[in-house]
Amino acid sequence: MANLHTQICGVSFSNPVIAASGTFGFGREFNEVYDISVLGGISTKGLTLEARLGNPTPRIAEGHGVILNAVGLQNPGVEKFIADDLPFLRSKGIVVIANVAGKTLEDYAEICRRLDGLVDMIELNISCPNVKCGGMAFGIYPESVEQVTSVAKGAMARTPLIVKLSPNVASIAENAQAAERGGADCISLINTITGMVIDVEKRKPILANVTGGVSGAGIKPIAVRMTYEACKAVKIPVIGMGGITCAEDALEFIIAGAHAVQVGTANFTDTLAMPKIIAGLNDWLDAHGVADIAMLRGTLKIG
Amino acid sequence: MRELIVKVVGNEEIAPGIYEIEFRLPEDINFRCGQFVNLSVGDGGHLLRRPFAILFYDRATHTAGVCYQVKGAGTKLLSEKKDGDELTCVIPLGNGFVLREEEKRVALIGGGVGVFPLLSVLGQYHDSDKHFRCYMGFRNASYVNTFGQFDHRSDALFVATDDGSFGRKGTAVSEFFADFEQAKPDVIFACGPIPMLRALKSGLAERNIHTPCYVSLEERMGCGIGACLVCVCHKANGQANVRVCKDGPVFEIGEVEI
Ligand SMILES: Cc1cc2nc3c(=O)[nH]c(=O)nc-3n(C[C@H](O)[C@H](O)[C@H](O)COP(=O)(O)OP(=O)(O)OC[C@H]3O[C@@H](n4cnc5c(N)ncnc54)[C@H](O)[C@@H]3O)c2cc1C
Ligand SMILES: Cc1cc2nc3c(=O)[nH]c(=O)nc-3n(C[C@H](O)[C@H](O)[C@H](O)COP(=O)(O)O)c2cc1C
Ligand code: FES
Repeated sequence: MANLHTQICGVSFSNPVIAASGTFGFGREFNEVYDISVLGGISTKGLTLEARLGNPTPRIAEGHGVILNAVGLQNPGVEKFIADDLPFLRSKGIVVIANVAGKTLEDYAEICRRLDGLVDMIELNISCPNVKCGGMAFGIYPESVEQVTSVAKGAMARTPLIVKLSPNVASIAENAQAAERGGADCISLINTITGMVIDVEKRKPILANVTGGVSGAGIKPIAVRMTYEACKAVKIPVIGMGGITCAEDALEFIIAGAHAVQVGTANFTDTLAMPKIIAGLNDWLDAHGVADIAMLRGTLKIG
Repeated sequence: MRELIVKVVGNEEIAPGIYEIEFRLPEDINFRCGQFVNLSVGDGGHLLRRPFAILFYDRATHTAGVCYQVKGAGTKLLSEKKDGDELTCVIPLGNGFVLREEEKRVALIGGGVGVFPLLSVLGQYHDSDKHFRCYMGFRNASYVNTFGQFDHRSDALFVATDDGSFGRKGTAVSEFFADFEQAKPDVIFACGPIPMLRALKSGLAERNIHTPCYVSLEERMGCGIGACLVCVCHKANGQANVRVCKDGPVFEIGEVEI
């Protein structure tokens, strides 16, 4: 048994495999398929101060090796999450990361203040491409990345802050550094890449929202490249994601420099994807005589 | 619900473009009529599974069946599966149809591929004291082949086609209302395209009929188990969403916006 235990910003993960925001709800449904306490952690569906109904349907479409979603931050609101879902997640003994979003800087400050000390980490969704009036604007330019980060950080005394970067930007390195300057304790990436699918017969977009976020196996090379760039650009830990479906995929991100990974779309293709990835990591490390996964982190050889 | 690897044991075209696939499960499941399976199409390029109503489940052999119409790339791939091929799935999913003890006279209204979830109702209550009258609507005679199984299990079967090429020219809903006084159902189960369900809803309202009516809905899905909030529809009050995969696919007709 190799050591998969991972420490990020003082938070202890039994393994570096975390459920990605929006694909795993608040864990209850997947817990009907398997005991989710085997996971390293979960990042919740994006939470907002008030309950939201999200976008019209269809909210999902498919491309080759990828999917597109435009759920639009449907969620019960932070108070209902704290009352109804957090106790369940706590009972699972895994790291609970609250993924949060807002329309204004004040929204971000308020939701972070509310969750400070209640969850293990907060992941700032500044990159959700689906909500017309919020999200996106904060994640594009380094200046606004730094600003929203420092506002969120300033609202919290206890909980470490992850800033989740959008891939739909000019420079991942600059935005990662902007988040670090703003006081982020950790960076996660990538969120979905904006895309579109057209029904040729109807000459209409498949998604009611017209565009949506591309995720899944097909985006992995882009996600690995961006994770690599972010890891080189900052000193704070990085959590990588995008298209991970097996242990080897996860190891690409770790070798590129990530401390941990998140798994999203693969949960749709195989509800047991994450337990299989965790078991696969252990097998791979054992087979290669690596005692501790930390020994692989950032070991990319170039040239 | 379980994540399972299943083995194809039959996959035949039963009407033009409509296939019945049967697969063997590695273990027993608890299946209720109207539930569905989220089935992989067995190709790494298609990340989403396809939801299909479970036609039947045979406990003795752990075999389940699905009838599907070839629509796009996924169902095309499925139609090429051979005996012995393996597919993965999550099964069984959703709430399904439930008949209460006092509900003896049952109307089943199905349009197009919507007839398949209703077949499982007939299968489950085959040897019971329930009486079924079935109303089926198809585009034209070539699809009608799928109703054979309804024939010997129901008290009365009414078939209509859009073009009158088989049965009467009309719809499942028009057949149902024409027979309503005769049938006097205790409960109505319906599944089919949205225009059909709308016609049913407005027809019931116009005639002031308050017979309990349950409809099975379709929506594009991500996870299929209730986690991703992709497959929602609005509740009738417009103030909340329900998940078709987890809270449904069967809803009381007044409960949801159709
Ligand atoms: C609960 C439920 C039960 C169903 N039962 C049956 C059945 O018994 N027999 C049958 O023939 N069909 C049934 N359908 C519809 C069936 O799921 C679609 O026809 C099928 O997914 C189309 O896949 P495709 O790859 O051929 O089409 P594509 O258009 O290539 O599929 C692209 C994506 O859209 C989704 N999609 C396309 N049409 C639908 C649709 N109508 N409903 C949901 N998702 C869709 C696909 O699943 C896939 O994710 C059911 C749908 C639901 C939600
Ligand atoms: C249906 C769906 C909903 C998502 N919702 C959120 C969300 O609420 N907040 C967020 O930060 N990311 C959200 N994401 C993005 C994922 O967390 C992840 O960044 C992305 O899907 C890439 O990883 P993957 O390829 O493993 O899915 C969502 C993705 C999907 C597919
Ligand atoms: S498909 Fe994910 S909630 Fe229904």
